[in-house]
Amino acid sequence: MTAIATGAGAFRLEEIPPRRYADTSAGRRQGALEGDAERTVRPVRPALGLSNISLTFGGVAALREVDLEVAQGEILAVIGPNGAGKSSLLNIVTGLYRPDRGEVWFGEHSFREVPTSKLAALGVARTFQNLALFKGLSVFDNVLMGLAHRVRTGLLRQIVGSPLARRIEAENRAAAEDVIGFLHLTEVRDRLAGTLPYGVQKRVELARALVARPKLLLLDEPFAGVTLTEKRELSQHVRNARDSFGATIVLIEHDIGIVMGLSDRVAVLDYGRKIADGTPDQVSADRAVIDAYLGVTHEDETELAI
Amino acid sequence: MPVLTPAKSSWFSGETLWIVLVIVAAYGIVPLAGSDYLLDAVLTPFLALSLAAVGLNVLTGYAGQVSLGSAAFLAVGAYAAYNLHLRVPALPLLIDLVLAGGVAAAIGIVFGLPSLRLRGFYLAVSTLAAQFFVQWALTKFSWFSNDNPSGVIDAPVLSIAGSAFTSAAERYVFSLTIVVVLTLLTLRLLRSQSGRNFIAVRDHEIAAKVIGVPLLRTKLLAFAISSFLIGVAGVLWAFAYLRTVEPAGFNLDRSFQILFIIIIGGLASLRGSFIGAAFIVVFPLLLSRVGAALLGSVFDSGVLEMSQRIVIGALIIVFLIAEPRGLIALWDRAFAAVRPAKRPA
Repeated sequence: MTAIATGAGAFRLEEIPPRRYADTSAGRRQGALEGDAERTVRPVRPALGLSNISLTFGGVAALREVDLEVAQGEILAVIGPNGAGKSSLLNIVTGLYRPDRGEVWFGEHSFREVPTSKLAALGVARTFQNLALFKGLSVFDNVLMGLAHRVRTGLLRQIVGSPLARRIEAENRAAAEDVIGFLHLTEVRDRLAGTLPYGVQKRVELARALVARPKLLLLDEPFAGVTLTEKRELSQHVRNARDSFGATIVLIEHDIGIVMGLSDRVAVLDYGRKIADGTPDQVSADRAVIDAYLGVTHEDETELAI
Repeated sequence: MPVLTPAKSSWFSGETLWIVLVIVAAYGIVPLAGSDYLLDAVLTPFLALSLAAVGLNVLTGYAGQVSLGSAAFLAVGAYAAYNLHLRVPALPLLIDLVLAGGVAAAIGIVFGLPSLRLRGFYLAVSTLAAQFFVQWALTKFSWFSNDNPSGVIDAPVLSIAGSAFTSAAERYVFSLTIVVVLTLLTLRLLRSQSGRNFIAVRDHEIAAKVIGVPLLRTKLLAFAISSFLIGVAGVLWAFAYLRTVEPAGFNLDRSFQILFIIIIGGLASLRGSFIGAAFIVVFPLLLSRVGAALLGSVFDSGVLEMSQRIVIGALIIVFLIAEPRGLIALWDRAFAAVRPAKRPA
């Protein structure tokens, strides 16, 4: 915890004070299960909203009429057995899949089909279940790529090094250096990303997503395949992204221990349906969830952390 | 694969020193010490092929888009410069050169459009269309070759601001200057955001898209830059090296030759492009000397050509299996073994 606190300083959290997020999440904790009743009275639009999303592959329904709302500054975990549609959900939110029905909301903007190329400009960043780093770039350049959408100068100005191009490049480099220090990647800064151990690559991918200080951060199994110590540390970084610059976070995770400690709210998917949505305590006590996923009674049929 | 960002961005790094040393040697020593044969038959084609390989490497090595149409863009550059010189005599040669590159870039963008939907093998096949279309058009429409029945063009004398570059050494220096300037500009491009975008699109297209890399622009930019460089290389090939060219000289064999240069030299490495080009130019000469010494008169030109193809084919296979990063990786390893303290950039 102490190491994280010092790290937060390096991340320049003074720019955006951690205003009201604590209250919001606390408020959510209280009345989250009555989500439907609450929706009509909430004054601020949720950071992310899914309404009535359905998706089929051929005849197989991957998602059925899923509704989901994530409040500003909330950490939502999506859990569920393999094939429950968790990754499909993120792929719809990032426009990689097109839903058969339903809409995706980012704050004020609603989309039938999310334009992937505009995500970064909308303040949305994501990581992938299987690593999606640029193997031929150094760790530093990978993190710098997280700011690619900020480079608005043309080719000639980049080659010549016009004042604007140089200013943008310098700003981006400073931001990348910050995140690299924050996530303790300084030692591997100049190594090619493809040559690093799995756990470190996961951290680089998180750094690449964090560098743009996204409003909405989508993490697809960010802790899969890393050691327990690394998991604890990474989950602190995730929490810190919310606390320091107010990111709203949606994460898919198998490790129930981590999920319960980290998230404000948990949504459970099973066979493409949302079967529960509430605080970690509420969800872990839910009969349907235990049957479908937590597997207290049917342990042999379920699939837990890898 | 290279680390694009030097560890320290101080201007006088070891890398900069190497570049300066090579350029000084290329200008100061080679033109004085080299024979006309060396300059004319070895170094000038080496420079033109190097530039073409740099161009293809931008597209294939860095941006990951396979192309089999390089020779078409060489031809476009050569014929565009010829026609610009012939039909707009007022333009200085350097402007012709840049515009010829521009024409090649424009055609490169057109043939790059399928890359938005096709990748890998399928894209390579669609770039073959460029190869066959350009060769056909240059032969079919005699306008391009000023109504020469076989499409042959004779290159004008290279002259800039009244001073002509006619001797072998002068044509070498002309080529060298163009190649050095364009290679350094390419190096800067590859180290800018656009260059990082190329590698991002190559390594993980979906992640690049989610991050906000404009895929369409990035791919077409790679095709444009690549075709520009290859087009200018075509001008050097036609004007500084052969001085008489015909469309048949820019056939599929030439495209493969440039592809082999970057595979043998090293994908995604500018230095690899030069080493590969040197290898492809020097290797047949060495082979003919060695063959003649060992086998005497049995080793005639037919046998030479066959053995050359066999050996290069075998080498490609060996490199793809044993060292996909090409000669430059061997070079770096040798260099690191000599000076273990410092890692070459």
